[in-house]
Amino acid sequence: MVQKDISTRELWARLFKAADVKEFLGECDEHSLPTFADYVLQLADERGMRHEAIINAAGIERTFGYRLLNGTRNPSRDTVIQMAFGLGLDCDQTQQLLKVARMSALHPKVKRDAVIAFCLHEGLSLMDVQQALYGAGLPLLGGVRRA
Amino acid sequence: MPNMGRPSFSESLDAVLAAYDNDKYPPGFAGEYDIMECLGEGRGVDTFLVTNKQGERFVAKCYDLSVWDIDDKDDVLEGLDHPSLPRRVASYKDKNMLVVVRTYLEGEPIDVHVRHNSLDEQGIATLCVSLCDVLAYLHHRAEPIIHRDIKPQNVLVQPNGSVALIDFDIARTYHVGNETDTRFFGTIAYAPPEQYGFAQTDVRADIYALGVLLRCLLTGSPRQNHNVRVYAPLQRIINKCTAFDPNKRYTDIDQVRAALLAANPRRRALRIAGVATASILAFALVVLGCVKAYEAATWSPFGSGAAPAVVNDEQRIAEAVQYMKETYNTDLFGSPDDLATVGFLRQVLIDCYGLDHDYVYNHQEEGLPVESDEYFMPWGWEDNQNVRRDTAVYAAVKVHDPSLVAEDQWSKLTDDNGEYPGSRVAVLYAQETGIVEGANRPFDVTKGEVALIFANADRVFTDS
Repeated sequence: MVQKDISTRELWARLFKAADVKEFLGECDEHSLPTFADYVLQLADERGMRHEAIINAAGIERTFGYRLLNGTRNPSRDTVIQMAFGLGLDCDQTQQLLKVARMSALHPKVKRDAVIAFCLHEGLSLMDVQQALYGAGLPLLGGVRRA
Repeated sequence: MPNMGRPSFSESLDAVLAAYDNDKYPPGFAGEYDIMECLGEGRGVDTFLVTNKQGERFVAKCYDLSVWDIDDKDDVLEGLDHPSLPRRVASYKDKNMLVVVRTYLEGEPIDVHVRHNSLDEQGIATLCVSLCDVLAYLHHRAEPIIHRDIKPQNVLVQPNGSVALIDFDIARTYHVGNETDTRFFGTIAYAPPEQYGFAQTDVRADIYALGVLLRCLLTGSPRQNHNVRVYAPLQRIINKCTAFDPNKRYTDIDQVRAALLAANPRRRALRIAGVATASILAFALVVLGCVKAYEAATWSPFGSGAAPAVVNDEQRIAEAVQYMKETYNTDLFGSPDDLATVGFLRQVLIDCYGLDHDYVYNHQEEGLPVESDEYFMPWGWEDNQNVRRDTAVYAAVKVHDPSLVAEDQWSKLTDDNGEYPGSRVAVLYAQETGIVEGANRPFDVTKGEVALIFANADRVFTDS
């Protein structure tokens, strides 16, 4: 919950820095969402995490990971979710990350999404979620097919 | 303390998984496909992105049969084969649910595409022409297929640049004789009035939605926004597509296509060049001494077939600006392309027509606006507001003859469209006499257009 406090405080800070409310709301407008790369870098800064540590924890191949971070590659939805695990995001923060990446949100009607959301909520690692998906006979993150 | 009595991780996960039952779906579907994402839900139909065992992506639409009285034979995509439309792959059915699997089309929504590539009017019109081609394929079948939910999210620009139309859950064939559609479908802002249940929708419903889509791509909003000016030829297409009465709309998608091609700004540039050439010839006529004929062609505000053939709006505005400048010895119209403000309009009334400052500025403080001898404008407007066309017309008429917009004229109005009746009377008069001819932009007007309206009014009142 500490992380959430920081982002709420930051939101307020931005509100009061902005010249008027419209300008502030404009920042949240879909037309002016930050790019995925900028947003991930910002989250990494807020958490004081090293880029390499995030990419490792997200289980993403190193070169591809750096290309994602400098914006030369666009992530798939699974890659965005892996990145959420790498950054240690909770469920709400992951939904926001998916929105920034213009991907569909985790949806309670989708069993696979429910397992992923549950693991994010519990603060589990990428390995844990892959095991949970495997156990439930669902496709793993990153396109590895079940046996 | 926090973990006391809490179920273990795997117990909680099992509880989550238990809530999902593969038997919910018809036999065969769960074994063939994995549900990966929810693309949309509502009204007893869920749309999922699914993958097959080879990892290929498809779209599955799951209809709750307690809500939908349909059969898999109802699928409008049955028998269609077009690269811009999803293709039906399979269907699964039991007593509770019908699942229709279709191919997944890659692409980004058309509004996102327009924004990312900063497309201009030309690019937008070209995309809409491609959309017309797809719609023509659907509309021109023996049993026309109406999509009925055309909106930016459902129109994709594919990686190869072609336009694709997706999300066909409510489309249906048109049956002659069904008077009204029984259910409301579609997306409110994009749905024509008859889709709310006034009459059976036909292909003009898609034409309406295409007009709204075009407006949305050009202005950023599906609703009319009076503050955004749209390239006039495209605005005319939007207006005709979205007319409230279906009988006033285009009747066929091919007409829209032709209109879009004709409105293409590059073509128009060519036409204006042609007009300019013709204008030079007309100018030669003037030099030859046909001054009177030329003036009549330029200024005659009355029908009688004297509509100026070789002089376009821009030239008429230039002439009007010149006329105002010379007649009233004023520099007010120095930048005719700027939008006119109420302050500017008041200045024209004071400087050119000699109205008293207080008469022009005072207004009724409370209650509904009414006509009065004490003040010129019934509305309490700020100087920095933009002037709408009807306001300029109202001022141009009233400055010559206040009795024309007096209250006893209002009773002649046949309808009440919520506008101030005085300005509606003025607009009706102006249309009858030709004052607004040539200033056909519906909303905010430029200083040049104000000049044209006042110059025309001067002429009408001098002649009569």
